[in-house]
Amino acid sequence: MSEHKKILEYDVLVIGGGIAGGECSLNLANLGFKVLLVEKDLTIGGKMIMLSKVFPTLDCSACITTPKVSEIARHPNITIFTGSEAVKVTKLAEHNFEAVVIKQPRYVNVEDCTGCQLCEEACPVSVSDQYQYGLVGRKAAYIPCSIASPRAAAIDIDNCTLCGACERVCPTNCIDFTQTEEEYLVKVKSVVVATGFNLFDPLKIPRYGYGKFKNVITSMQMERQLAPTRPYNTILRPGDGKMPDNIAYVLCTGSRDKSIGNPICSQVCCMYSIKQAQLLMGALPMADVTIYYLHIRAFGKGFNEFYAQARGMGVEFIKGKIGKITEKENGNLLLRYEDIEEGKVKEAEHDMVVLSVGLLANSEVSESFTNKELELDQFNFVQQTDMLANPSKTSIDGVFVAGTASAPMDIPDSILSGGAASAQTISYLKQVTEK
Amino acid sequence: MKQDQSKKSDNIQQAKTSVSPVREDSKVAYKKRIGVYVCHCGGNISDYVDVEKVRQVVENEEGVFLAKTTMFACADSNQKEMVEDIVTQKLDGVVVASCSPKLHLLTFRAVTERAGLNKYNYVHANIREQVSWAHSDNKQGATEKAIRIVRSAIAKVRRSQALEPIKVEAVRTVAVIGAGVAGMKAAVKLAKSGVLVYLIEREFFVGGRVAQWDNLCISDETGKELITRLYDDILSHKNITLFTGAEVVEKSGSIGNFSLKVKITPRYIRMQCNKGELQKAIDVCPVEVPDKFNFNITKRKAIYHNYPGEYPQLPAIDIENCTRCGECEKVCSSIDFNQKPEYLDIRAGSILLATGFDPYEPKKGEFGYGEIDNVVTLPQFKRIVHYCNGDKLQFKGRNIHNIAYIYCVGSRQVNGENKYCSRYCCTSNIYTAIDAKKRFKDINNFHFNRGIRTYGKQEILYDESSRLGDIYLQSFEDNPPEVKVVDGKTVVSINDILTQDKKLEVEADLVVLVTGMVPRKDNSIGNLLKVPRGRDKFFNEIHMKLRPVETVIDGITIAGAGQGPKNIVESMTSALAAATKSFTIVASGELALEPTIAKVSKDDCEWCGKCDDACPYDAFTPKEIDGKTVAVVNKSVCKGCGMCLPVCPSNAIQLTGLSDDEVESMIDALMEN
Repeated sequence: MSEHKKILEYDVLVIGGGIAGGECSLNLANLGFKVLLVEKDLTIGGKMIMLSKVFPTLDCSACITTPKVSEIARHPNITIFTGSEAVKVTKLAEHNFEAVVIKQPRYVNVEDCTGCQLCEEACPVSVSDQYQYGLVGRKAAYIPCSIASPRAAAIDIDNCTLCGACERVCPTNCIDFTQTEEEYLVKVKSVVVATGFNLFDPLKIPRYGYGKFKNVITSMQMERQLAPTRPYNTILRPGDGKMPDNIAYVLCTGSRDKSIGNPICSQVCCMYSIKQAQLLMGALPMADVTIYYLHIRAFGKGFNEFYAQARGMGVEFIKGKIGKITEKENGNLLLRYEDIEEGKVKEAEHDMVVLSVGLLANSEVSESFTNKELELDQFNFVQQTDMLANPSKTSIDGVFVAGTASAPMDIPDSILSGGAASAQTISYLKQVTEK
Repeated sequence: MKQDQSKKSDNIQQAKTSVSPVREDSKVAYKKRIGVYVCHCGGNISDYVDVEKVRQVVENEEGVFLAKTTMFACADSNQKEMVEDIVTQKLDGVVVASCSPKLHLLTFRAVTERAGLNKYNYVHANIREQVSWAHSDNKQGATEKAIRIVRSAIAKVRRSQALEPIKVEAVRTVAVIGAGVAGMKAAVKLAKSGVLVYLIEREFFVGGRVAQWDNLCISDETGKELITRLYDDILSHKNITLFTGAEVVEKSGSIGNFSLKVKITPRYIRMQCNKGELQKAIDVCPVEVPDKFNFNITKRKAIYHNYPGEYPQLPAIDIENCTRCGECEKVCSSIDFNQKPEYLDIRAGSILLATGFDPYEPKKGEFGYGEIDNVVTLPQFKRIVHYCNGDKLQFKGRNIHNIAYIYCVGSRQVNGENKYCSRYCCTSNIYTAIDAKKRFKDINNFHFNRGIRTYGKQEILYDESSRLGDIYLQSFEDNPPEVKVVDGKTVVSINDILTQDKKLEVEADLVVLVTGMVPRKDNSIGNLLKVPRGRDKFFNEIHMKLRPVETVIDGITIAGAGQGPKNIVESMTSALAAATKSFTIVASGELALEPTIAKVSKDDCEWCGKCDDACPYDAFTPKEIDGKTVAVVNKSVCKGCGMCLPVCPSNAIQLTGLSDDEVESMIDALMEN
């Protein structure tokens, strides 16, 4: 850690560079406020940039996200720190916050990197690619994803063998192993928390066999298989590379389930599963898709129509809870379930199972708020203290919440929430000028 | 090519007799260093169009200096590369062949601008929506079509001109239409941000639907308290002017400078009034009409307020139902039947539309509604629960114990028009059912549902209701429950899929139809402002994710349940987001508008008025110039739609940026073999 903290000043610190934090930053920046956008990941764009198409319009997600991301990245009023975290936020007075931001070394000078990927080719280390949700591998010297912003290499120092191959091939000499963690002291007038959500880890439900049966994948892994930047360029089941022709979706994996400590509904899984089912029917015209559900929550604008469309396309919907999944020798899976309509316990065979995992709170950031408590609700989402009249307000005046940091929500709602947070931040900032 | 030359000589001949600037344009030298970028769009395009072949073919087009393919033209890395190309290669025109210009025209115009090239030297070619997605069955044909479309864009960019945006003043005022929670919240937010706000409410009282609710879900606050809080905020802000009983009756102008005529219906009561006398006036009024505020379960007088302490705290006379008997005037000096409607002209830079929804009104006989006297709607039920005191829930003098709730009435219709889910009703109904059960003795709730949709954290209510012993019975849409009167008793029956399709019956003291939200029946404001509606007849945003609160009418934003069913939190969130957009429009006091508008050659124009008839925006006015009447274009109103061009008998109108020369060259390029 460097001895001398660098001191920076901005109007607003936005924590989280997903779609909500991005929308909020853009609104603020367009009105002339200086924004520091701090993102833990190596690219901004959050979860949305990783998605295939989005419901209910089936717009290509990358096509919507990348221009926004680009607009954010080049905005003169927005400074972006990727690979960085706000580890401590202190409210000194109204309109006076101090944050300690730590930037992890990327071991690459982003300004000089051209994204040529020669380092990737040269690197001898292969590890699982977290941006493809473990479907394929990547190198220790790597570009997070083809539509990353910044589109620059990074060195995964935990897995790097320091062989120096990347340094030797880099045409711009931008790889720099001497980089160290940098610490900044950031003075701002207001803070927006847009830290998003965590996906439920299905290893916590052993009876579904995730991690043990290779053809049981998560919905995010399916999302990657369907995305334009998809790893296999087609849909394959990971166990043996066979094209699946009978796919099952298990809804409410990690949602509405007190046994794993999450009693609430994740609000998006029904719709993204219906969307994936529609895309699968396009990608694999011969495949059958069955969705096992408790209730279909197609509540938003155009959602119910989208659900009806899926049924019209031949997606099968079975009202029933999956009890257990077992694997057959050929890699197919047996799903034991209660068919609620018929009142019977049944078994069905599928060659691939997608677990529609839910959204959990990602509220680690609350620990960074030291002298004043950033209150969380009973589900660990950031508490909206005046939900009806001021939906972005938190327990700390001047700290606002945007997007899924406060509750599960879909993309349109996250973007609206980002807009609302910017509105409330602006009026908080205006109080300074009025003084 | 022949055609081209004859055109040119034609132009030269005419140029001798006329100095029209339009004609001069075509003499400008054609571009020579054009950059063309053909996008894969992941696989969206390249799965069906051979993008490399397109690149190879167009590379040899006249004027093309470089042609490249790219995985995602819109990605930041490619945008940077384009900027670099434009600067280092001194490109004088740019074409990107990718998706619809609706998505990314502005993105790439901005790229050229950042590189120092005038953004009107950028032309967009749509080879996704118009090619790859439309012709996924014919790859060869798709590739050929893509080549023609790109060639046509190249032809246009060769002739493109540097243009400057038209700067217009933006009035730093926003007109917010509708003073429900969304409109009130947006008004407060805008005022706090420092702009003037006209808040225009059609009813005599503010608060919209939320004023009609009492206990609110996930809050200790009542609807009335929430409205009071917002109203206090409005009063405390000098930037907000509130009109009640007010309706926008005329609109002209456009973004930055809308002119609205507001009709203010009189209350027939003087502002400075004696409250005691007014109460007497209400008491003596002999007229009784169903009280809409209570969804017609109670009656009110012709002189009325909705509830004590309502805002503004001044009753109004419902002149349609008033018999002019004069009784009120005898006891109250504040009554003034001489008041006349007033008309105000206001100007605003942006309009925020927050006109809300209507509750679905079931048809007569729909689940017994209007025929069986203990069948009510959800809003009526909420009022009944609110007005009952003591520990017994009563309706029409009878004690209520068994309540049957029938869900999705007016929503998710199989045969009706409303295919959508109304989003709020499951939660709202379960909340009210729990409320009733907790407050009154011996309540048994039976929920006849079609799949409960208590999404997100609202799930805890569903859980709570189940724990309290509420019974849930479910059917699919093709087999709805039935309501019948058997031996004087109201019986609801269902084939319940949760118990293996058994036919179950409940004898209900009250049947609550869980009605959804429908668009406002009266869409006069939508028609006046020309705001388009979606398939569900709610107002439509431009793009659900990219521009969720903006409409295709520049300068008009939308918020709240007028856009589609929303609960209070969602309405508030959208109101704040819309306020930000409206604020951004007016904040700087100046707007840069597209210069691609109609231009009239005053030499050729012989004012006949045909352009005026064809113009959907009223952009033309006749004006006397040099002793001759000619058409003049209002620059801030014209949208460059081109409707006027074909009707002009003397061909006096040209579109800047889409001149005849440019369009004809594009057509030639499309036809070329």
